[in-house]
Amino acid sequence: MFDFLVRFQAMDRRWIFLGMAIAIVLPLLFPFKMPFRVDERVQALFDEVDRLPAGSRVLVSADFDPGSRPEIEPFYRANLHHLFRKDVKIVVLTLWESAPPLVQPILEEIAGIYGKTYGEDYVFLGYKAGREVAIKSIGADIPKTFPTDSRGTPVERIPVMRGIQKAADFALIVNVSSGNPGTKEYVMQIQGQYNLKLASSTTAVSGPDYIPFYKAGQLFGLAAGMPGSAQYEKLTFPDGKVPGGGKLMATASMDVLNLGHLYIMALILFGNLAYFITRRRD
Amino acid sequence: MNTARARNCARCLGAALLLLGPVATAAPPTDLRSEAPIYGGGLEMILSWTPPPDDLIGYMLLRGPTASGPWKAIEPIASDAIRHKARVVSDPRREAVPETVFFRLVALRADSPIPALVPGEASDAAAAESEARYVDSLLATGDVSAPVESRTRAYLVNLTPSRVMLALIIIAAGVLIGVFTRAARRGAELYIRRIPGIDAIEEGIGRATEMGRPVLYVPGIGELQEMQTIAAMLILGQVSKKVAEYQADMIVSCCIPIVREVADEVVKAGFYQAGYPDAYKPANTRFISSDQFAFTAGTNGIVLREKPATNLYLGMFFAESLILAETGFLNKSIQIAGTAEATQLPFFVTACDYTLIGEELYAVSAYLSRDPRLVSSLKSSDYIKVFCVVMLIIGTVAASLGNPLISTLFRIAE
Amino acid sequence: MKRTLPLIITFFVGIVMVGEFFIPHYGYRMLTDEFLQWGLVLAAAAYLLGIVNLIQVNIPKITQRKPDWFYKLIMLLSLAITLAIGFIGGQDRQVEGAAYRWVYSSVFTPLSATMFSLLAFYIASAAFRAFRARNLDAGLLLGAAMLVMLARVPIGENLPYIGEGLGHLMNWIMDVPNTAARRSIFIGGALGAIATGLRVILGLERSHLGD
Repeated sequence: MFDFLVRFQAMDRRWIFLGMAIAIVLPLLFPFKMPFRVDERVQALFDEVDRLPAGSRVLVSADFDPGSRPEIEPFYRANLHHLFRKDVKIVVLTLWESAPPLVQPILEEIAGIYGKTYGEDYVFLGYKAGREVAIKSIGADIPKTFPTDSRGTPVERIPVMRGIQKAADFALIVNVSSGNPGTKEYVMQIQGQYNLKLASSTTAVSGPDYIPFYKAGQLFGLAAGMPGSAQYEKLTFPDGKVPGGGKLMATASMDVLNLGHLYIMALILFGNLAYFITRRRD
Repeated sequence: MNTARARNCARCLGAALLLLGPVATAAPPTDLRSEAPIYGGGLEMILSWTPPPDDLIGYMLLRGPTASGPWKAIEPIASDAIRHKARVVSDPRREAVPETVFFRLVALRADSPIPALVPGEASDAAAAESEARYVDSLLATGDVSAPVESRTRAYLVNLTPSRVMLALIIIAAGVLIGVFTRAARRGAELYIRRIPGIDAIEEGIGRATEMGRPVLYVPGIGELQEMQTIAAMLILGQVSKKVAEYQADMIVSCCIPIVREVADEVVKAGFYQAGYPDAYKPANTRFISSDQFAFTAGTNGIVLREKPATNLYLGMFFAESLILAETGFLNKSIQIAGTAEATQLPFFVTACDYTLIGEELYAVSAYLSRDPRLVSSLKSSDYIKVFCVVMLIIGTVAASLGNPLISTLFRIAE
Repeated sequence: MKRTLPLIITFFVGIVMVGEFFIPHYGYRMLTDEFLQWGLVLAAAAYLLGIVNLIQVNIPKITQRKPDWFYKLIMLLSLAITLAIGFIGGQDRQVEGAAYRWVYSSVFTPLSATMFSLLAFYIASAAFRAFRARNLDAGLLLGAAMLVMLARVPIGENLPYIGEGLGHLMNWIMDVPNTAARRSIFIGGALGAIATGLRVILGLERSHLGD
């Protein structure tokens, strides 16, 4: 037994990987759909978006890549559904070079479901290099930062961009971000200086880092990781049905989180148990 | 007649007119006023108004050079707004900033005209014509306020309390650096606490030399203008000197092209200063990919193929931190990490031998060089930190007692 | 001059950018905007330098048949092919059915997602290896981590009797101790960044210039 516990503590990490793979795959094959609550920070985000009057304009900075897709894309989708449903005009841009082929088709797809017209109800400004400098520039002068949209139309000819000079001209800014440049950079560079109404959807790892911003009122809402996305889905689609026939991707993945977390907890627990037993014997 | 009764009468009149036939119910916003804020810099005016009594879907702001136009629709405003920051020119680089400008506010209702989309390939004249048609249709609704004259005023200096406070902190930091530098030059000993992580950098370079393997330096995935990347470049300067002195090899793996260019110059200068310019190998400072995970895969490839004895991860890191550090752990490298990204600290602490937390990253170059000018700047930032802690405590107590003075001093929002 | 000119440029641009906080005049803002635009152009132009470096470093390894030369060849070919189909596709490269879109969704997306997914496995192995309650501090950290992990997922929320309390406790841990620790790291980091910025602007720190 003692030998086993010693070996258990130094086991080949490939066994750990195998266990993790099983913990991920099993709930995907046999979902058990457990109910979950909505966090105060996600509720605040949803409520603020829900209060927007029709015709308001919202800037969505979609800064994520395929790696963080499972965590953040469900929020991005649900948020676009929510905004279009409320007849809010949407301006999407990105500061991640690998994001446009990911975020633009989703925008077009959801706009199509609600019969929205490009240029009048929504626009995709495309990608801008420069990260933090680009954010600073968005705070100061959007037409100069994005002189045209992704199709090459000058912004002054796009009705939804009429009169937009800088970030403060938007009713809200939603940053869907999985890292840098993202929410922290928006807060540091322009949220404080121009007193912007900013919300964030981010990865589970970055979530705790942004809680201080939420507590300080620098973010009006925060949806962190897959649970955050699932909770926003729950609020946006209370009947569980997505217009256009899509799936609630984050909600469906909550089972994976359940088992994955339990697996890591079990590893830590047994690891410590073995550690204490073998330490006493030593 | 009080206001509420007046509004009710106006509503009755509107309803009566509707019943009579297709006559527009003109109920414009009233009492439009404007003032020039300090932070507007002569380009922005604060407009305020009294909204019309009925439900709106929003407003459209018009701007013109005279009280009689010509008018240009500049931006829509949310229906619940009663105050708005408006620009006096669209682009100060193309248009002269006028001394006086006029604004009008149009109340938008469900049946208000909507602007037409002008395609990118249309001529400027066609776009201007479409714009003029839209403004005419707005003015025809009658839901438009009287013009308000706005005198622009460009303040030269912003002397609001928060800005004065900020200026004082910057000046104090400068003065403190000067005072400590003088003291250090006169021979005063400036104490810096021992930071084991930084001491381990030199040990790591020595280990690499003994094993005949390279040192891997990863300056994070931040752009050059990020302070953490700048700190990483400053440390690289010191590290490359040590590597050259030990006559070891160093591979620098970069995620951002411009960071590679600067890193290359820094390493070259380090080898030159150490007296070993010939040992410098430009091919060892590599740009891998600007995509986060392609960069991670490439850097892990270096770890597995070239088997560095020491891995230094100093700079801005995100999800790649644990993937890099675990691969380094598998390779049995000595690993020293440093980042100000709080989210990544747990990963580095778990998988690396030493981790520099937050501000320690910014202290490394001063610690390694012991240059009195740099050490004095560390000292001055410590004093500023003490000041901030004192202000935080006083501010917390004051805010809890309902006094907003301290928080006003530190609020920089415009 | 090679050392002095960068110092002068750094000092001038640094002071001008800090001045933006104190000088609201539009003429001054136009100047700082211009610097920001230069920064954007430089950042974009640097990608060309990156490509040049990739070619410079890898071509000799391929021609001299150094170890793993074949992977380097694949990398350069991938670079060339992606660039070419991006240019050929032009404005329509992201529409359904375009070659660029296919490369993105069928090659880049799965590769990138795979790398990110490795985190789940590495977190499990790193947590198992390093998370030991060796002393009181580590024990407290471990207890807090277990609580937060359990309460973050529906299975913890739905535990009978303690589920709701667990949620409140997790929120308290995240809102109070977590926020306090992060704020201190954040404020310390920001002050360190300001001090480093001042050192660079004032020319005290010159190691990046080779001094």
